[in-house]
Amino acid sequence: MWKQYDLPKSEGTRIHRAGKTVLYVAVEVAGEGEVLAALVSYANASIATTRRKTKDVLAVPPLDDPAWSRYYMGASSTYDIVPGYPDIPVCIKLREPFFLPPSADLRGWIFSHVEARIVVGGSTVASYPLTRPFKTLYGIPEAGIICRHDEADFLASNEPVIDTLNEDPGLVAHPVRLRNTSSEPVLVDELCIYGEQLSILGDGSRMQSERLLFIFSGSGVRMSLEGQTELPAGWTQIAKPRVSGEERFIVRSIELFRAMTRM
Amino acid sequence: MDATTVVADTSNAVQATPHTLKLLDMDEIFGKIFNLESATKAIRIALMVLIGLIVVGIIVTLIKKLSGKRMDSRTGGFIVKTVQYAGFALILINAFKIANIDLSALLGAAGIAGIALGFAAQTSVSNFISGIFLMYEKTFAEGDIVTVDDTTGVVHSIDALSVKLRTFDNRFVRIPNETLIKTNVINVTRFPLRRLNIKLTVTYDTDIERARQILMETAAANPGVLRKPDPFFMVQSFGANGIDLFLGVWFANSDWEQANNGMYLEIKKSFDAAGIEFAYPTMTIYPKKS
Repeated sequence: MWKQYDLPKSEGTRIHRAGKTVLYVAVEVAGEGEVLAALVSYANASIATTRRKTKDVLAVPPLDDPAWSRYYMGASSTYDIVPGYPDIPVCIKLREPFFLPPSADLRGWIFSHVEARIVVGGSTVASYPLTRPFKTLYGIPEAGIICRHDEADFLASNEPVIDTLNEDPGLVAHPVRLRNTSSEPVLVDELCIYGEQLSILGDGSRMQSERLLFIFSGSGVRMSLEGQTELPAGWTQIAKPRVSGEERFIVRSIELFRAMTRM
Repeated sequence: MDATTVVADTSNAVQATPHTLKLLDMDEIFGKIFNLESATKAIRIALMVLIGLIVVGIIVTLIKKLSGKRMDSRTGGFIVKTVQYAGFALILINAFKIANIDLSALLGAAGIAGIALGFAAQTSVSNFISGIFLMYEKTFAEGDIVTVDDTTGVVHSIDALSVKLRTFDNRFVRIPNETLIKTNVINVTRFPLRRLNIKLTVTYDTDIERARQILMETAAANPGVLRKPDPFFMVQSFGANGIDLFLGVWFANSDWEQANNGMYLEIKKSFDAAGIEFAYPTMTIYPKKS
């Protein structure tokens, strides 16, 4: 899925599948130029259309339906589909929450859904979440963070589990390390990931991020990067972090200062 | 020289003397004012004012840059203005000092004038002091949506004497700081999320459990509704016209409009599809049997 494509000029609507999510791409001629039209459809749901409503059927609305988003192609005759993390943090709810005992140090894997970005001539023209884009609150209503909601299993394993990714190319694997530095057991029921600090590494079909360290302490939980894990041969960096750790640290420090002083 | 001539000369002399004296006095006065010493003073004052203004300008620019990154515009603006006025006052005092002007008399007069001005500018002073309290409390910042009395709008600017709002129908409203201190101010966008409180009244023949299920499903299907905190359902009362239900769903502030409309539309559609009726004021009339 993650590669460059020619415009589907003579094949009707092109279908890109990522698990149960489908991204439709079509092309329209507009004067001397071309317009790329895109539409995303999630599993077990109707495609939003003003003309008709279909359920559980891959019925694509006509190209003049407002459900399609359009982008002028200019001189470009190709488009890329590249993976990217959502603009807001992702809060991954664990399907099976568990307690982490005091002083525990656990390694494992979690997964999150990336977004499919349509890039034309080096510019991102659209970004579609590959799972229905629900939001959730991480933290408390007075000072929490609005995140993208995602659900996943936690796999307590030191071994690479990249084969799991074959089931859904829209998933990125995160090797994680959980440490409890408090004196009480903590319930691990959700983990918040700041995708803007992470790379996407992969071989075109499977993807992985850097190792994440979650430290649970008396004052809360904090995510940081623990560094790169061993990668299989041939894996490259598909997407770079949008901000560096240092930048993020400065921004977070200022946010914290402003939150404390309300300045 | 004869007497007539003497008299004439004397009269001439008498007539000429005042002019000569006047010319002499003016010369003396101009000489006193425009001498080397006063010229030096004037140059010193001009130089001091010029250098003072440059220094104040540099300090103000630095504070503006620093405060722009680290503080909200209101606090930053207040600090900048304070430093600016303090700088100007220092320049003025120094200028008087160089000119050997005694400030004590001036300050005494200023004290009396201050009292008079204080009475005259009571409202303005009250607004200014209220502004300082508002700044300290940090109730809102520019860009927040606030409700003051019956007025709701986006905070356009926060000034020394008043706060300016732009209402959603694009009117410009000036609210004195004193009013903001005295009345309840609701900051709608202070927190990142907000709960939509939906109150519904359904007829008495409604299956409440079914209605609850439909409401929760509608909330779960709306992408704007936050998964956490959970939607909240409550049967409020058996009212005069029907059963009063309550549904509270949380949204991010940025999704408010779209999610709010989506919820109401979907609830109406779902209730219509399930045959659940909204109650409206009704009156049952029993004919009197004679």
